Amino acid sequence: MGTKKKNSQKQKITLPPELPPEISEDEIEVSDEDLQFVDENRDYAGFVSRLDTQSITKHVTRVAEVKEDALEALYEKRLKKKQLLLKDQEVDKLEVDPVDALPVKTLDGKLLYRTVPKTSKVSENNEEGETGGDDKEGTGVIKLTKAERRAKLKKSRKEARKQGKEAATTEVEQTSQAAVLAEVKEDITAEEAFENKKRKIAELGTNLLSDPESNIKSLKELLQLCIDDDHSIVKLGLLSLLAVFKDIIPGYRIRLPTEKELQMKVSKDVKKMRYYESTLLSSYKACLQKLSVLLKQSSFQQVAIRCICTLLDAVPHFNFRESLLGVVVGNISSPDEVVRKLCCSAIKSIFTNEGKHGGEATGEAVRLIADHVKAHNCQLHPDTIEVFLSLSFYEDLGRSEKADEKNNVKNKKGKKRKNLKEPGQLPVNDRKRSKQEVMTKMREEVEADYKSAAFTPDIMERRRMQTETLSAVFETYFRILKHTVQPTASSSEANASPSAGSCGSHPLLAPCLRGLGKFSHLIDLDFMGDLISYLRRLASGGNGSESTSVKSLSVSERLQCCIVAFKVMKSNLEALNVDLQDFFVQLYNIILEYRPGRDQGEVLAEALKIMLCEDRQHDMQKAAAFVKRLATFSLCFGSTESMAALVTLKHLLQKNVKCRNLLENDAGGGSVSGSIAKYQPYASDPNLSGALASVLWELNLLSKHYHPAISTVASGISSMSVVPNQVYLSNISPIQAFKDLSLEQESLTPPTDLLKSNGKRKRGSGSLISAGIESSLDTASIDEDEVRKKLSAHFMLLRDIKENQRLRDELDHANLSLQLYEEYKQQKRKAKRTKSKKTIA
Amino acid sequence: MRPLDETETTAVFEKIFKFTGNNLKNIVENPSHEGPDSEPGRYCFRLNKNKVYYVSESLVKRATNIARTNLVSLGTCIGKFTHGGSFHLTVQCLSLLSSNAKHKVWLKPTSEMSFLYGNHVLKGGLGRITENIAPGDGVVVFSMSDVPLGFGVAAKSTQDCRKLDPNGIVVLHQADIGEYLRMEDEL
Repeated sequence: MGTKKKNSQKQKITLPPELPPEISEDEIEVSDEDLQFVDENRDYAGFVSRLDTQSITKHVTRVAEVKEDALEALYEKRLKKKQLLLKDQEVDKLEVDPVDALPVKTLDGKLLYRTVPKTSKVSENNEEGETGGDDKEGTGVIKLTKAERRAKLKKSRKEARKQGKEAATTEVEQTSQAAVLAEVKEDITAEEAFENKKRKIAELGTNLLSDPESNIKSLKELLQLCIDDDHSIVKLGLLSLLAVFKDIIPGYRIRLPTEKELQMKVSKDVKKMRYYESTLLSSYKACLQKLSVLLKQSSFQQVAIRCICTLLDAVPHFNFRESLLGVVVGNISSPDEVVRKLCCSAIKSIFTNEGKHGGEATGEAVRLIADHVKAHNCQLHPDTIEVFLSLSFYEDLGRSEKADEKNNVKNKKGKKRKNLKEPGQLPVNDRKRSKQEVMTKMREEVEADYKSAAFTPDIMERRRMQTETLSAVFETYFRILKHTVQPTASSSEANASPSAGSCGSHPLLAPCLRGLGKFSHLIDLDFMGDLISYLRRLASGGNGSESTSVKSLSVSERLQCCIVAFKVMKSNLEALNVDLQDFFVQLYNIILEYRPGRDQGEVLAEALKIMLCEDRQHDMQKAAAFVKRLATFSLCFGSTESMAALVTLKHLLQKNVKCRNLLENDAGGGSVSGSIAKYQPYASDPNLSGALASVLWELNLLSKHYHPAISTVASGISSMSVVPNQVYLSNISPIQAFKDLSLEQESLTPPTDLLKSNGKRKRGSGSLISAGIESSLDTASIDEDEVRKKLSAHFMLLRDIKENQRLRDELDHANLSLQLYEEYKQQKRKAKRTKSKKTIA
Repeated sequence: MRPLDETETTAVFEKIFKFTGNNLKNIVENPSHEGPDSEPGRYCFRLNKNKVYYVSESLVKRATNIARTNLVSLGTCIGKFTHGGSFHLTVQCLSLLSSNAKHKVWLKPTSEMSFLYGNHVLKGGLGRITENIAPGDGVVVFSMSDVPLGFGVAAKSTQDCRKLDPNGIVVLHQADIGEYLRMEDEL
C-alpha cells in the first residue's frame, strides 16, 4: 500500500483543501502526476467511475421511465440551475463532514444512504492515512535534521498541494455530483413520493372497492399511509378511507365471534367471512382512533370532523356509533362555523333518517345533547338545540297497535271461552288434549322465533324509545327555561363565559321556545302548570316586579314566550277553555315596547295571529283595548307591521260587534264603556283602559297613509259600521299580510332608489339629500307614465346640450383651420412678392 | 256613619284583595266626578249599621247633614260585618269587583240559571276559566257574553280543573244577581 497513499492522505489532512470555488469540472487541470497517481491507485479512484455509472444512469433512467417529458425537463432545468449554486457549498459541507450526506428515499420507500459507503470509505482511508502518517513522522522525526526536515516538509507540502488538489478535484467531482444528485433525488422524490402515495392510495381504494373481500388487507395499508408527515397525504388518506368505509361497511352490526364459536369447526367460507369482518372492524376502529387523535390538532380538525360526520351519516347502524356520536355532540357548539354546521347536519340526518338505525341513535344523540347542555350550564350555541326541531315523533305509533291488541285480547278471550266450552261440551280423551297442547306450544315457539328474527323492531320497543327521546328533549327545554329564570346563576354565567354566543346571556332560549312550540302537543299535562308559570315569568320580564334578571330578555323573546304559552294551551286544552289573561296583559304592554327595526316583525305578527285572531272569545273591554292600541301603534310602525296590526284590528272588530262603537263618531262613555268612564292610554291592563270610551280617529289618519294598501284597508275598516252587511275580502292572517307586504316592499324599494338618484342628478351637485328624498317621496305616488315623460324630457335636454357642444367644437375647429389657411396664404404671397422683387432686381 | 277602624279596614281590604289582587289600588284611587267640585274627588269606605259603603267624598260631606239613626243607606253597599266580626261581601259590590277582577270564570248558557239559583259552579258548566287560579282565590263569575253574574271562591286550581270530573265543584257560591229577587228583603 505504501507511501503514496500515506502521503496523499496525510497531506490531505494537514492541509484543508483550498478549493478554487469557481472551477467547473472541465476547467480543472489534471497534471501528469495526478494521472499517474490515479492510475496507480485505481482502487481509490475507482469508486468515482463506479458511482457515476451506477447511480447516475440509474437515476436518469428511472426519471425517464417514470416521469412525463415535461416533468423531466423541469427537473433538469432545476438541476442545472442548482448545480452551479450548490456545488461549492455542498462540496465544502461534504468535505467537512461527509457522512452527513442526506439519505435518499427511493421508489420503494426505502431509505438509501448511497453516498455514505463511499464517503465513509474515504474517511476510513483518511483515518488510516492519518494514523499511518503520524507514525511515520513520529519515527522519522528523530532521524532527520532540521534542514532535511524543512526540505522534506516543503516537498511534502508541494506534493500535498498537488495531491490535495487532485484528491480534492476528484472529491469535488464525486461529492458534488453525489450531493446534487441527492438533492435532485430528494426533490424529485418528494414530489414523486407525493404522487406515488396519491397513486397508491387511489390504487388501494379502487382495489378495495372492486373486491373488498379479497383485498380487505389493504385497509391496513391504507391506514398506514395515513401516518405521514405530509398533511395533504394524511388528509387524502383519511378521505379515501372514508369513501371506502362508506361503501364496504355492511348493513348490519358486526359481532365478533366468541371463543366458543371460534372453537367450533366451521366451513371455509365462514372462516373467510369471519376474517373479513374482524379485519374490517379492527381497521375501522383504528381509523376512528386516528380520527379522534387528529381531532385535537387544529389543522386536521375540519377533515376529521368531516370524516366523522359523514361516517355517522352513512353508517349509523354500525359498531362504534356511540363514540362517533360522542365526538359529534361534543363539537356541536364549536366556535368554528364549518365544524358546527357539519355536526348539526350530521345530527339532523340521524334524526330524519331513522330507518337507517331503527331510532336507537336518535335516542342516544338526544340524551348526549341533553347531557352536553347540562354540563355546559346552558351556555352553548343556539344550533345545539336547533337540531331538535328536525325530530319527528309518530303519535299514532302504538295507538293502532294497542287497539289491535285489545282486539286480539278479545279474540283470545273468545277463543279461551270456546276452549273452555269445548271440554264442557264433549269430554275429549287425553291423547287429543296432549296433541293440542303440543300444537299450541309449537305455535308459541315459532311466534317467538319469528319476532326475534323479524327485521322491523317491535312497535312497543320503538314507542319506548320515543318516550325516552321525548323526555330527554323536554328535560333539556325545561332546564333552559329554568336556567333563564334563575336570576343569580344566569347573570354570573353570562359574565364568566362571554363566548356563549351572540344572543345575550340566554343563547338557547329562542330555539328552546321554538321547539316547545313545535312539540307542544306532546307535553304531559303534569308539566303544564310549571311550564306556564315559567313562561309567565319570562314574558313579564319587562315589568321587573318579580325578578330583575329577566329584564334582559328581548321583546321578540317575550313575544315568543306568549306564543308558546298559547300554543301549549291550544293544543292541549280542547276540553277546557282557559283564558290566559296574564299573557294578554303582557302582549298589550309589549306592543308599546316594540321597535320595528330592532325586533322581529314576524314574531309580532305571529303573536297577533295566535293570541288575538285565533282565540275564540274575548271580553269586550279587552278587545276594545287591543283595537285601540293596535290602531294607535300602526300609526308609528313600519308599513309591514301596521298592515299586520290593521288586519288583526279588522278581525277583532268583526268578531266583537259591540266594539264597533269605537267607530262611532261620538265618544261613548256611560254604560257602554263600563266602570271606567274615560280612556286611559297608559293603563297597563287592557281591561282597565276604558278604550270603549274612545273613538278610533287613528283610522282617519291611516287612510291617508303613504302606502296604498294600508290606506285602503284603513278606510275599509272605518266604513265597516256604515255598511254593516258588507262582504269582506277573504280574511288573511296577520302573518300572511306581513309577509305579503314585506315582499312587496322589497320589490318596491329599488325604483325609489332610482328616482332618488335621478332627483339628485337633476338638481346638480348642490342639491341636498333632503331634496332627493323629497323628490323620491313625491315621485313615489306619481304614476309611472308621468315619470317616464319627465325622464324623457330630461334626457332630451341632456342630448341637446351635448349636440350643441359638439357643433360648437366643430365650428371652432373650422374657424381655426380657416385662419391658418389665411395666414399661410399671406405668407406665400409675401414670399412671392420678395421672389418677384428679386427676379426683378 | 263612621270611617272604618284599623281592624275593619284590614278585614275589608283583605276580602277585596282576594278578588282583585293588585287592582285594589284602582278601587281605592278611583276618581269620582260627583259633586260641584271641578277637581275629581276620591271614593272612601264608610260604616253604617254594620254595613260597609263605598262612597264618594262629596257624598260623604253631604250625608253628614243627616242624623246617624235616620241614615238608611248611602253610596254603594259592598258588604257587612257579621256579629262575629267577620266581613262578608254582598252582591251589590259585584260591579266593583267585576271591573277589577283578577280571576274570572265564564259559564255556559245552560248552567247560568243553576248558578243564579244559588248553586255552586260545576265543571260541566264551565265555559272558560282564567289561567293560574289557586284554590281559595276569589273568582268573579260571568256569562259567556261577559255579563257579571256573581262571585265565589275557587274550590280547585285551574290545573286540577282539567282532571276534574264534570260534576266536581269548581267555584263555591258566595253571591249572585239572583239574590236581588230571592232575598229582596234582606238587602
